Amino acid sequence: MRYLGLIAFGIVFILSGLAARGLAGSSGGHIELGQLLLMGGYPLVSAMLLLGWLLGRYPLIATLVLLAGVISRDRHNGHARIYASRPTTMLRIYAPRVLLLAFSAFLLSAILMPTFDVIMLGQWNGPSTLVLIACYVIAYTGLITLLSVFTRGEAWLTLLLAVTAMVWDALRRGGLLDNAPPGIAQVVAFILPPQGALFRVETAFAEMQPLPWASVGYVIGYGVVTLIAAAVFLEDREL
Amino acid sequence: MVENSFIRFDRIGKRFGGRPRGGGGGVEALRNVSVSFERGECVGIVGPNGAGKSTLFALLLGFLRPSSGTVRIENVPPRDYARARGYGYLPELFDLPSEWRVADALDALARLDGLIDHPEAEASRVLALLGLDEHRNKQVGALSRGLLQRLGIAQALLGSHELVVLDEPTEGLDPLWRIRLREIIQTLKTPERTIIIASHELAEVELLADRTIVLDRGEVRDFLAMNMTGETRTVRIVLNEAHDAVEQAFPQLVRHEGREYLVQVETAADLTQRIAALIEAGGVIEAVSPAEGLEERVRRTLDAGSVS
Repeated sequence: MRYLGLIAFGIVFILSGLAARGLAGSSGGHIELGQLLLMGGYPLVSAMLLLGWLLGRYPLIATLVLLAGVISRDRHNGHARIYASRPTTMLRIYAPRVLLLAFSAFLLSAILMPTFDVIMLGQWNGPSTLVLIACYVIAYTGLITLLSVFTRGEAWLTLLLAVTAMVWDALRRGGLLDNAPPGIAQVVAFILPPQGALFRVETAFAEMQPLPWASVGYVIGYGVVTLIAAAVFLEDREL
Repeated sequence: MVENSFIRFDRIGKRFGGRPRGGGGGVEALRNVSVSFERGECVGIVGPNGAGKSTLFALLLGFLRPSSGTVRIENVPPRDYARARGYGYLPELFDLPSEWRVADALDALARLDGLIDHPEAEASRVLALLGLDEHRNKQVGALSRGLLQRLGIAQALLGSHELVVLDEPTEGLDPLWRIRLREIIQTLKTPERTIIIASHELAEVELLADRTIVLDRGEVRDFLAMNMTGETRTVRIVLNEAHDAVEQAFPQLVRHEGREYLVQVETAADLTQRIAALIEAGGVIEAVSPAEGLEERVRRTLDAGSVS
């Protein structure tokens, strides 16, 4: 059901892209925003830009949708106790499931985003698209899995943290946190999901620049550390 | 409490909610519980709702950590024991993902159990044992309460674990399957295996358990031996007509009303010997039964607890 929802959501993107291409496709293969402005004014252009922005969050959305309740649901309805009665570890039970769901989120995004790029821009941005998707999926798989060990509201909490991190990073980049007490902005940015690093990867991707591998490494490190923390707490936590 | 018991609860307390580090408040589910379970015994846990039976199980199986005291199975914490050996467990409200199919669910759970050599064959065995063969392709969500309970029992019997814990195993079962379950549990009894059963069905516990622990309001109220060793028992004997030989055969005569006698004996052998003497003397026996069943004994224990 969740997969169907995500596929349907993806189809909406594709259809919107195809409609925009039909309305304002250029000979160069990309969409002419100026032409869209003439046809539908700012609302139409804004809608397309919003669609593009939302598409950039598709790996995050897919990760949240697929991994919501991955551990917490089993804890809540008692299934985890059934599994825990076997001579095995919780890690052995949940690690394959988390990895499979994360891979599914990656795969869905890896199909949708390049397809949308081809429709809107007339070309594929290359393997860096996949790196960007992997960064999102790894970072947020770690966070949502860690939160799922503790609470059933993990998806909403992850979304809240993601949005907070986006806003915080935007404030920091805009210089609005320059007057904050020394270290505070950095500490908060460190605790929140790595939106700053993700933004740098995204910017490089959008501008077709070489990927900032240090940022990629930071994002992957964040995901790995949160996954390790999830594994440690999962083995120790009451069921 | 025996030091080298298979399972040891040592002054266990469990509090839900409240302030940390014993700061009070919250609900005290268990209080200073010290019990032990030996290999090869079948123990019943009885008590009213909210007595702490399920919490006791959750601590025993390592799902919860005690607020005070220690639990050990083979001298290791329960969670460590479970990771290494596993156990058969039927929760009070058994459930699995509703979209799973019966046979697939058992197969998947058997595969999780690293100690089972042939998971598929083991899943088929318990499927047949619990009469689920004809329901093998049904989804869990489509099962009736009784079938779901049988599936729960089936998964608890996967493998050959030394510890089997059944929380309300007869819940939802029809009379025929209650009898069948009793037979199955009898076959599970081996010198190596400990079986612990919590149930409101005292008659079932009486038939299955070697001893019974009475829990009430988070405390152990009594340990009741179900066999005839270790304590004097009162037995009701009904003859076809009153006979003087009863007084000679049973010097510890408690009461006599018409052709019904209440007598005290020490052991099963003692009872057999005295009944033989009574028959020898011409007594014709219509019935021999415990003067006080588990239900009366538990009620008396709980009543005494509520008075105190």
